[in-house]
Amino acid sequence: MTALSRWIDGRIPIEPGALRELTNEPVPYHLKRWWFALGGTPAYLFVVQVVTGVLLAFYYQPHPSTAYESVRYITEDATFGWYLRSVHKWAATLMIAAVVLHQLRVYFTGAYRKPRELNWMVGMLLLICTLMLGFTGYSLVFEQLSYWGATVSANIADTIPVVGGFLKRMLLAGEAYNERTLARFFVLHAAVLPGFLVALVAVHIALVRIQGVTELRFRDEPPQEEGKFPFIPDHIYTELIIGLVLMVLLSALATLAPATMGPLADPMTTPEEIKPEWFFYVTFRWLKLMGGTAAVLSMGLIVFVMFAWPFIDAWFRRRTPFREASVWIGVAATLLIIGMTVWEALVPH
Amino acid sequence: MTLETKRIIIGCLGGLFLVSLVFVQRLETVRRAEEAGLRPAHVVAPASSVDCVECHQETNPGIIDHWRGSTHAEKGVGCVECHQAVAEDADSHGHYGFVIATVVTPRDCAACHPAEAEEFARSHHAAGGNILASLDNFLAETVEGATQPFDPHSPTPGRPMEPVNGFASAFLGCQQCHGSKVALRATDGGTVTVDDLQPDEDGMPTNADALGRILHNDDGRPLFDPGTWPNTGIGRLNLDGSRGSCSACHSRHDFSPRRARQPENCGKCHLGPDHPQKEIYEESKHGVAYRDLTDSMNLDAEDWVLGEDYSAAPTCATCHMSGHTRNDGRITHDPGERISWTNRPPVSLPMDTDAEHRIVTTADPSERREQIADTAEAKRTRMKEVCSHCHTPDYVNAFYRQYDDFVTLYNEKFAKPGREIMVSLLEHGLRTPTQFDEEIEWTWFYLWHHEGRRARHGASMMAPDYAHWHGMFEVAERFYMEFIPQAREIAHHAETNGQRPQARAVQGLIDLILARPEHAWFEGDSQ
Repeated sequence: MTALSRWIDGRIPIEPGALRELTNEPVPYHLKRWWFALGGTPAYLFVVQVVTGVLLAFYYQPHPSTAYESVRYITEDATFGWYLRSVHKWAATLMIAAVVLHQLRVYFTGAYRKPRELNWMVGMLLLICTLMLGFTGYSLVFEQLSYWGATVSANIADTIPVVGGFLKRMLLAGEAYNERTLARFFVLHAAVLPGFLVALVAVHIALVRIQGVTELRFRDEPPQEEGKFPFIPDHIYTELIIGLVLMVLLSALATLAPATMGPLADPMTTPEEIKPEWFFYVTFRWLKLMGGTAAVLSMGLIVFVMFAWPFIDAWFRRRTPFREASVWIGVAATLLIIGMTVWEALVPH
Repeated sequence: MTLETKRIIIGCLGGLFLVSLVFVQRLETVRRAEEAGLRPAHVVAPASSVDCVECHQETNPGIIDHWRGSTHAEKGVGCVECHQAVAEDADSHGHYGFVIATVVTPRDCAACHPAEAEEFARSHHAAGGNILASLDNFLAETVEGATQPFDPHSPTPGRPMEPVNGFASAFLGCQQCHGSKVALRATDGGTVTVDDLQPDEDGMPTNADALGRILHNDDGRPLFDPGTWPNTGIGRLNLDGSRGSCSACHSRHDFSPRRARQPENCGKCHLGPDHPQKEIYEESKHGVAYRDLTDSMNLDAEDWVLGEDYSAAPTCATCHMSGHTRNDGRITHDPGERISWTNRPPVSLPMDTDAEHRIVTTADPSERREQIADTAEAKRTRMKEVCSHCHTPDYVNAFYRQYDDFVTLYNEKFAKPGREIMVSLLEHGLRTPTQFDEEIEWTWFYLWHHEGRRARHGASMMAPDYAHWHGMFEVAERFYMEFIPQAREIAHHAETNGQRPQARAVQGLIDLILARPEHAWFEGDSQ
């Protein structure tokens, strides 16, 4: 033992064997397939968001009189500002996509079932947290569509019975969009939601460690005894490759389709066409189809069902002969979500 | 269900999700680029005009391509919205199930742009058609052309021996800027114009007899007098009683605000020997800055407010029409709102205007007070608000002092004396009332209409070469070397022909004028 390691060991007395045990648990063989490693992808993209977000925050000024100009400065004047903003924007899109793909995999392989119901619910919270990060980030630009998107969202929240008014006031820092609203969005986007997300990720990973990764056995895999491989370095390599591919993809997207700026927000002029960010197209289309409180309540019910799905599914499997009903319900729901998203993207209004 | 089956389902749904993501992101990226003005907006023809667009895409693709690039197209304003008419309109006709009119007038545009139409209607631009009874038009219709058709006096190989249209110069020269009186061909061989139709305040014709005389082709389409249509003159006299043509500045069919903001747009008419505003602008520091900094002019901005959207250089539209930070970005479609001198007539006048936006010409102070609704000083203050975005008040005021002094010098030294001599010659019977039949009338016309205007316009827009060499130098040369000698020659000729009192009166006036201190250097010193 060197002097340095003795010095460290004297102050942080962790057994190397215990550390290895903690960080290098063997993982099931099916994780050799990269598409089963999508759980780590949002985490990687979240790190990208934190790094680019901190750099962007050096320049961003969360006030209606300065926000748009500060974003314009980032986009047009600051060195590599356009690149950082574009990477931030595309990483948000990919992060949401990765979360959705991860959730699809978990859902269809039944990985949410006992004893992992709570982790599914933590995952649902992570999804909502990610969507909220997207919403608050989009609103910070203070361009016409993001301003009106936030206003419309607050008005939608207002239609929720009992707590709607409170939610709207909490979101906008008042009865209507005002000088304090952007600061609230900024704090939510840059501090509260990321903090919450980090805590949820910690719980998510802890539960994975406690319960272990769901073991799925494909026909072409080796027998049970040999069906595991070390987390370090094998799985880490897979994650690194995904990370490098994502970095190339992000740079390509940022260069080929850089983040642009719409017109400055004008509270006196309602745009003819209001669109939220793409990940809310499905809810926006739902709102247009259902309208008003019915849409909000039904959306709330859907979100509740998604949260409680492990228990609903368990009840189905116990009480009905349709043991694979969840697969077909999932297929229908996924096709519905994709269909409504594309529908909303295609229509001008 | 086996794990392999589930893997296929996950693969299919995941793949479908990624494909839809790419598709949605593509649409989203395009939409954002359109919103940021980085690419033309995606246009969908409104339901009312789908058939028009499809058909005219084949027959007149230029019209449709221009329209696709317009804000109208972006906002769902198609062909029918502007061209639709009612059966009672004089120029209406059925066209594949629609009742339309070929000519779109300011009254049509006013359906969506009432404030702009109202401002334009009271502007000097809208009165451009008044030239049809003016001295300038006499030149084109009579001196350059002929008021009656006449037969060719010898054959032109390859051309039929058809009567010569004496109005051709007026139609293509004067009226393409000033505006024609739009006419429909009549069954009796004549024409039907707004004068015959007598439209009411809604633009609907009230004279059934005139309507009945309109000549239609076999498809029921009214036939236009080809001399008066096509025409996009800014003071066009339309069949519905409205005046003007919005497309004079907002070229159809893209109606581009960007183009209307550029000096080249005004240069269709404001150039040449008699009012070379375009060339004057190009010589000025304003024009030089514009040419250099065009990329910084933000010409595609939605409102294009000086001081907010740009400040690199002013164009014609900037000073005379556009919004700026001192007036809350209010655009005017009356370019006369900020002009304090009219340099159009032989003698410049302050732009004190009455309620009808006519210049008050009376010299009586009390009558002036009574009649003036908008003073020249108020107009100048509006212009100074524009100037102040780039210049200090002292600078602007000093410039206006230079300008006032220049116009006053021209007025007092050359214009008023010249006009007095011309009036005296006429009153004493030493020239005929017919214009341009005597040399001195051409000389006088050159002096004030060409050189005098060039000098004043050059001074008004900071172009020293036009103020001097193309302006006052030529005014002086014309006055001393041609006008005065010709006037004296006429008087001398009259005296030898027995018209001594008349000749003495004119000679006396010339002597009186040349004895003034500002002219003393000429004959006084030489004598």
